[in-house]
Amino acid sequence: MLNYTIRRLLFAIPTLLVISFIIFAILDLAPSDPTGNLPLTIPPEVREKIRLSLGLGEPFPIRYLKWLQQFFINEPLNLIEQWFGVSIGDSENRLRVQSWATRSPVVDLIVERMPQTLWVVGMSYVVGILIAIPIGVISAYKQYSVFDQVGTFISMVGFSVPTFFTGLVMIVIFSSTLGWLPSIYDTTHKVTDLASFWFQVKQMIMPVMVLALFNASQLSRFMRASMLDNLSQDYVRTARAKGLKERAVLLIHVLRNSLIPVVTVIALGIPQIFGGAIITEQIFRVNGLGQLLIIGIQGADIPLVQTLTFIFAVLIVLFNLVADIVYGILDPRIRYE
Amino acid sequence: MKKALLCSAITASFFAGTALAERGSDGQLNIIYWQAASILNPYLSGGTKDIEASSMVIEPLAHYDEKGTMVPNLVDEIPTVENGGVSEDLKSITWKLSEGLKWSDGSPVTAADVAFTADYCLHPEGGCQQASNFTDVESVEAIDDSTVKVNFSVAKPFPYGPFVGAQAPVIQKAQFENCMGAKAPECTDANFGPIGTGPFVVTEFKANDVVALEANPNFRDPAKPAFASVVFKGGGDAASAARSVLETGEFDYAWNLQVEPEILSKMAAAGKGTVVSSFGTSVERLMVNMTNPDPALGDKRATIEGGPHPFLTDPAVRTALSKAIDREILVEVGYGEAGQPTCNVLPAPAIYASTANDACLGQDIDAAKKLLDDAGWVPGSDGVREKDGVRLSILYQTSTNSVRQATQALVKQWWAEIGVETELRNIDASVFFGGDQSSPDTFQKFFADIEMYTNNFDGTDPENYMANWACKEIPSPQNQWLGDNMPRYCNAAYDALVAEMSTTAKLEDRAELAKKMNDMLMQEGAMIPLIHRGGVSAHANTLEGVRMNEWDSELWNVADWKRAK
Amino acid sequence: MSTESILRVEGLSMYFPVYQGVMRKQVGEIKAVDDVSFSITKGETLGLVGESGCGKSTTGRAILKLYEPTAGRIELEGRDITELEGDELRAIRTDMQMIFQDPQACLNPRMTVGSIIAEPLDEHTRLKRRQKRERVRELLDAVGMNPDFENRYPHEFSGGQRQRIGIARALALEPKFIVCDEPIAALDVSIQAQVVNLLEDLQNKHNLTYLFISHDLSMVRHIADRIAVMYLGRLVELAPRQQLYSMPRHPYTKALLSAVPEPDPAREALRERIILKGDVPSPANPPSGCNFSTRCPIAEDKCRRETPAWREMDDGRFVACHMVQ
Repeated sequence: MLNYTIRRLLFAIPTLLVISFIIFAILDLAPSDPTGNLPLTIPPEVREKIRLSLGLGEPFPIRYLKWLQQFFINEPLNLIEQWFGVSIGDSENRLRVQSWATRSPVVDLIVERMPQTLWVVGMSYVVGILIAIPIGVISAYKQYSVFDQVGTFISMVGFSVPTFFTGLVMIVIFSSTLGWLPSIYDTTHKVTDLASFWFQVKQMIMPVMVLALFNASQLSRFMRASMLDNLSQDYVRTARAKGLKERAVLLIHVLRNSLIPVVTVIALGIPQIFGGAIITEQIFRVNGLGQLLIIGIQGADIPLVQTLTFIFAVLIVLFNLVADIVYGILDPRIRYE
Repeated sequence: MKKALLCSAITASFFAGTALAERGSDGQLNIIYWQAASILNPYLSGGTKDIEASSMVIEPLAHYDEKGTMVPNLVDEIPTVENGGVSEDLKSITWKLSEGLKWSDGSPVTAADVAFTADYCLHPEGGCQQASNFTDVESVEAIDDSTVKVNFSVAKPFPYGPFVGAQAPVIQKAQFENCMGAKAPECTDANFGPIGTGPFVVTEFKANDVVALEANPNFRDPAKPAFASVVFKGGGDAASAARSVLETGEFDYAWNLQVEPEILSKMAAAGKGTVVSSFGTSVERLMVNMTNPDPALGDKRATIEGGPHPFLTDPAVRTALSKAIDREILVEVGYGEAGQPTCNVLPAPAIYASTANDACLGQDIDAAKKLLDDAGWVPGSDGVREKDGVRLSILYQTSTNSVRQATQALVKQWWAEIGVETELRNIDASVFFGGDQSSPDTFQKFFADIEMYTNNFDGTDPENYMANWACKEIPSPQNQWLGDNMPRYCNAAYDALVAEMSTTAKLEDRAELAKKMNDMLMQEGAMIPLIHRGGVSAHANTLEGVRMNEWDSELWNVADWKRAK
Repeated sequence: MSTESILRVEGLSMYFPVYQGVMRKQVGEIKAVDDVSFSITKGETLGLVGESGCGKSTTGRAILKLYEPTAGRIELEGRDITELEGDELRAIRTDMQMIFQDPQACLNPRMTVGSIIAEPLDEHTRLKRRQKRERVRELLDAVGMNPDFENRYPHEFSGGQRQRIGIARALALEPKFIVCDEPIAALDVSIQAQVVNLLEDLQNKHNLTYLFISHDLSMVRHIADRIAVMYLGRLVELAPRQQLYSMPRHPYTKALLSAVPEPDPAREALRERIILKGDVPSPANPPSGCNFSTRCPIAEDKCRRETPAWREMDDGRFVACHMVQ
């Protein structure tokens, strides 16, 4: 397993380099201009100077190599320095990947955004899983029952109705009409006591639920299908013949086996958490990574978009590997050599 | 004795609580800008949101008030030729700082800071985004601690570019000294938390998300600001920003509510807030291409060398196109409070606004048809007018934006009524307004017959703005398509007026010239103005003191804002 | 061999409903098992043979209450277990167990061999951990496997070994009655004999009673004391092994036995195959009268009208055929 993991990681390096080049090239070719969104009152000469000051004067290969150096060498070094409080080499003059819009290091922006995205989007993922698994189990166990039919209907609705709609409906009901929950997420809020914790819960409810519903509807279908697959397996009959309680048959034998593919799907979905739920973050102003990416795209903040997309690519490659490894751990039939 | 002390303490606190104005007595002010602030240094960002967010912290020497009149801010009076502040040759202006000004860190504000600000922006490697405010500045010198003199290389009849308005605030030399030129972007701490003279100081800055501020303890007016802290939240969209003020009441002030007018008025009906608007110089206009954009011309496409436009050079066609448009309906559909029909490309301030073109305000389809008939444009078999084999078929482009697309659709319909065929096109704003040389879709290249967008000018002086339509401003391959004369309008008489204005100092004379230029552009039909656009914002009914301002930052007087009692 | 019957089955029927359409309305039923009666005496092996799809396995499962029978009565050691549910049903599972056909699919792939065998012990006994482990090793030993295999997973074993694990699992609770549902069908021929011998050894050692379901007539002949023949959900003949093979009475039995190749080439040359015409009818839509009437070489009008009764003959055999006197 260890050899397998190391081999996969080594293979990931050229893959990621190719991905980074493609991302860089595509964004470079895209006809967007960092000064495009500035007021028209800024004259062209000034725009040209701004572009030069952003480093756009240099040819493409140089800019790509610079970015590679900044991303793969300078930024990790900087992170190490921050974590361990040491200084390595000439840290003062080390160039970091700079955002064009904020003129600050991109990685710092990402680190700053991480907490709210992980809290809100991550929590919604967890809640989604917690909702999806029991629904999937019961739906499959009582296939074609009323519960299953209703569950199927809700899943279809949850999956097909976009989050910007559910989000808006929730805001209109719980914020505008009832006034129970805040419609705008306060990212500066700090949990210090019970009251502030309660406020944090209140401001998280709506975005978390909107996303959880969406995640749950997908996962519950997956869970149901996997359960149905396993329920008809012979070993389930064996378990019943052993005289096990139905609960034990379901939870120990069927559920555990059904979870193998579901866990893989869950692992594969984790990079999406980091990607943030762009639309939901936008609606509730949970200004996390998704919103950062959108602002970057709108403002043609190319270094920010490049870095974020590349980090997502890294996460996707990484979690594909994680999913494979988890599969290997959960399913004794699979062995990686 | 103890009792008496206690009593007096209670009375004191009682009076303090009811005193009319006391710094920090009104709690927190919540402002929402749906475009989040990226940076608080306006010299490194041209974005309105960034300029306005920073305007609570750093200030210019003088502001424009909501009527466009200059008001002293860090000075006691505005320098003019009359009071000797502006030299007779119009080549220098001398500002005198008010007494006792302090930065929020307690250090005194000096003329050296003002001079440094100019050096900072004029540094050739800094990529200063407000450089246009410092056009023709030769040097800025600190005469003494409180006197600063700006020298221009040419006569400047309107010398109020530097240090007037939110785009050109004064920054602290001590803080930015090591951030000149190429190093400017590296000073993240300074750019995210400039030390200023404004009513608030930054306590926390999360780029593209939120700014937290608190009252500046060293603000020059000890009674202000009324609010102890400000949260300046960003993100989301205009409609939900409007909702947070008008419906849920979570926020006190929401900026730039480009929302369908109908939705906005429904939200306002909840009674929690008020929609406010004000008009500056923004005009949504149709640019008429005087040159031929035919792709067959290759490199000469849309240039003077490519020859004149096959039919838009006919004044009758341009006038007819304008007459066919019902501007009232356009306002109603797309702008509501935020728009007024206009027939001028220079609609404000009042002294510059011409009334000579108001005939265009009413729609007149019949008159438009008659004009075309008389000019010999007769409907062909498909209803599209033609003359000598030239069909009145227009490619009409603009940026992607729902209001603009609605406008396009309406205009297309009206033009169809008078026998003009229209093909619509929309281009993503970052491409359309981006200056990418390789893209054929920029507004400068103008590979279309008609294009629509909004333009305006900063401050109140239209000199530079009106100079946009001089012959030398025509974009072409020779100048890398840089230039603001999109219609490729070229008229020696107009160029003469531009030259005259650059040497005229007296306000009334300048106004006459500006009006004349505006009328010339309108009557020759180089542009077809549609809507005079204003800003629309909303504030909670509990918030007092908002004086919505299009000439400066909307938050220009945030020090005066207070909670209604 | 005692003559005391351990299991009695009377009129056992197992119908599966057929649903169709958008609203999933019941449009019919499949008569997988229809009015089956027999009994098994203690210590004997009853072979149940028939073509695939004839309802053999369903009968086995219905007896063990893995299905809810539609009609009929099942008695285990004189106790009616037809209506048992829940805990009572689970309790009698210690007395009756099943060995399944597919040793690959019937073992939970995520459990170790040890925990598969130990699970019934967890459920039904109060043994201590060590005792359970002892028992597991004992059982593995009893089925001829290395007790050290307890920590391995099923996929690490061959088909024959897995079937031994399945047997060990079935034996864990020391049942009295075991349904062997085609236990050798999925195994290599070389392994089949080993497993059958193991089953016989265990039977002798533990005085077990088997219902041995198979379509392999020669294997049944080897292991069974009596043999029941099934066709399309119904029993057609039940007789002691010797009698059935030497002199089958029912025309279907005759046809079936004629298909068994003889080991002796001389006799094989003389073997007369009875080829049945047509296909087996669908159990969802069985023919009227005798189920076999559509293919029977000697069928008469009566056979197509009346369902033949399950009759005990003079020699103690049972036959369901109008034409057998």
